[in-house]
Amino acid sequence: MKLLLRLDEFVESIIVGIGRVAAWVAILLMTVIVFDVITRRFLVLGSTKLQDLEWHIHAVLFLFCLGYAYLKDAHVRIDLVRERLSDRTKLWIELIGCALFLIPYTVIVIYYGVDWWHRSFIQNEMAESATGLPFRWIIKAALPIGFVLLLISAVGMAFRKLVQLFAPDELKQIVNEREKVETIHLDEVDITEFGRD
Amino acid sequence: MLDVFIDFMPLFMFLVLAILLFSGYPVAAVLGGIALGFGYLGVYLDVFVPIEFFNIVGRIWSGIADNLVLVAIPMFIFMGTMLEKSGVARDLLYCLQVLLRRVPGGLALSVTVMGTIMAATTGIIGASVVMMTLMALPVMIHRQYSIPLASGTIAASGTLGILIPPSIMLVIMADLLGRSVGNLFVAAVFPGFLLASIYAIYILCITSLKPELAPPLPKDIGPQNTKEFIIMILRGLIPPVLLIVLVLGSIVAGWATPTEASGVGAAGAVLLAVINRRLNFKMMREVVERSALTGAMLFFIFIGATAFSYVFRSLGGDDIVIEFVEGTGFGSWGILFTLMGIVFLLGFFFDWIEITLIVLPVFAPIIELLDFGDHIAKIDLVYWFAILVAVNLQTSFLTPPFGFALFYMKGASPPEVKIQQVYKGIVPFVGLQLIGLTLVMAFPDIAMWLPNKLLN
Repeated sequence: MKLLLRLDEFVESIIVGIGRVAAWVAILLMTVIVFDVITRRFLVLGSTKLQDLEWHIHAVLFLFCLGYAYLKDAHVRIDLVRERLSDRTKLWIELIGCALFLIPYTVIVIYYGVDWWHRSFIQNEMAESATGLPFRWIIKAALPIGFVLLLISAVGMAFRKLVQLFAPDELKQIVNEREKVETIHLDEVDITEFGRD
Repeated sequence: MLDVFIDFMPLFMFLVLAILLFSGYPVAAVLGGIALGFGYLGVYLDVFVPIEFFNIVGRIWSGIADNLVLVAIPMFIFMGTMLEKSGVARDLLYCLQVLLRRVPGGLALSVTVMGTIMAATTGIIGASVVMMTLMALPVMIHRQYSIPLASGTIAASGTLGILIPPSIMLVIMADLLGRSVGNLFVAAVFPGFLLASIYAIYILCITSLKPELAPPLPKDIGPQNTKEFIIMILRGLIPPVLLIVLVLGSIVAGWATPTEASGVGAAGAVLLAVINRRLNFKMMREVVERSALTGAMLFFIFIGATAFSYVFRSLGGDDIVIEFVEGTGFGSWGILFTLMGIVFLLGFFFDWIEITLIVLPVFAPIIELLDFGDHIAKIDLVYWFAILVAVNLQTSFLTPPFGFALFYMKGASPPEVKIQQVYKGIVPFVGLQLIGLTLVMAFPDIAMWLPNKLLN
């Protein structure tokens, strides 16, 4: 149980760390778009490369954050029935969900995704347009990598649920508290922000 | 027996989806898991080949990652989150409140205007309703506003964001239906303002008839001299309005693509935070992290829905749906009302994200079959349909007892607000929504006049 807990903590630190860094590329994306707009309107430069770069960044931004969002519990759930379930049932649902849905799904996408990436790599795939960014296979690696990160998060989450279900009480306590602090619900707004009348 | 099962497998997919979604496991993972399960079931029954999973990977890539239009989504999310976290939204509400102090129901009107201007916020119904509730409801209660009027105004204005551009929902709808985002934005402009104006007229009428519902602002609130007043307008009102007008205007005028406008809008939101001296590292980190989480959430459902609808199609789902629709013998209007009814019911349980991503691809081939003769030109049909779905969904989110904008609102309200008051307050607004929906349905020009004018 202690080992599972360690593994979960390790997974969390890695995935959340990567997600937090990846989140900042939004600023880069913003800068590239502004630069693209300015140079195209006023300097009349061709910008196929910049536009390719824009969606490259967009791909990295969401793919590298999939696992991060799962660990932060930011993915949408239908709460209608869930709210009425006991905590233990919720833990079981999460564990079964990881085992039957998330882990098999990510494994399949990775399995075929690596093959898909490899084809691009051996062909040394370029952009469709001659003036686009070269080496398309570099960015294509983001898809399998993003799903590997998601798979790792799902495994970490499954370990955490096992601890929460079966570990001695003091261990459960530690995990529950950490989970509470770490979770960010997107539909919750920080009330202190609106203190001023 | 087995043949019948194979024929109806796509329907079972939906049935299993409907049941499993209520488990409360993340929607995106349920979608992906079901796609996988039915894919392998199909392999076992010889109606699906494993290599098709390879195609799904390609589909995910070309549909979601290698797609310049969708780049607008993280940028609009960033812009909305930035405006909210940097306090620009709050200052705007304060400004409007002071400006409209002499008008009956001024505070309620300022909430409506605010909903219209700030429609860009996060894009999740729950988040925008909660934000509006936290900002406006305590103030309104404090000023002795009638609680039903206050809560109705906030819920209706807070959900207006899914219709008024730059709405993330419209970006996704246009992408899924294979139409131009810019055109759909332009088509949504008048219907959005129509609804906002109907709200405003209603608020003006009801508060003129019954002034006790909405007492005016006391004199000692707000700027006390002309200089303070001008500073307030220059800092709180002009910048955000200018930013939104610029972002929207450049798309409508055809100067910028939605992607370009979103990036410039995001940069503008950062600039506003700098001007307000609220930009610091901690705030910036919160904004990028929250935007990244919102984006990941949205695109993960996109990924799951891509897998789901690929398997659904491959198992013959499209044919079943079209056969079913043709079998009903309904005319185009009958089919339209059926689709609208389905969307309305789904809106009781699901957010627009699930509805547009899962249901719209199924509806798409049916929409192509519709023909309304002279009522609306064939090329405009899809845009009109998308606008109808948007208004319909918003109505659904507001309709008691299920409308989930109301639950979010109740959750964020002070304890003295009762759910019955929220229900009572929303009823007139649901009526107004239905008027708006009927108008757009009866007069498609409300949506299509502006795009046709601009494009010709």
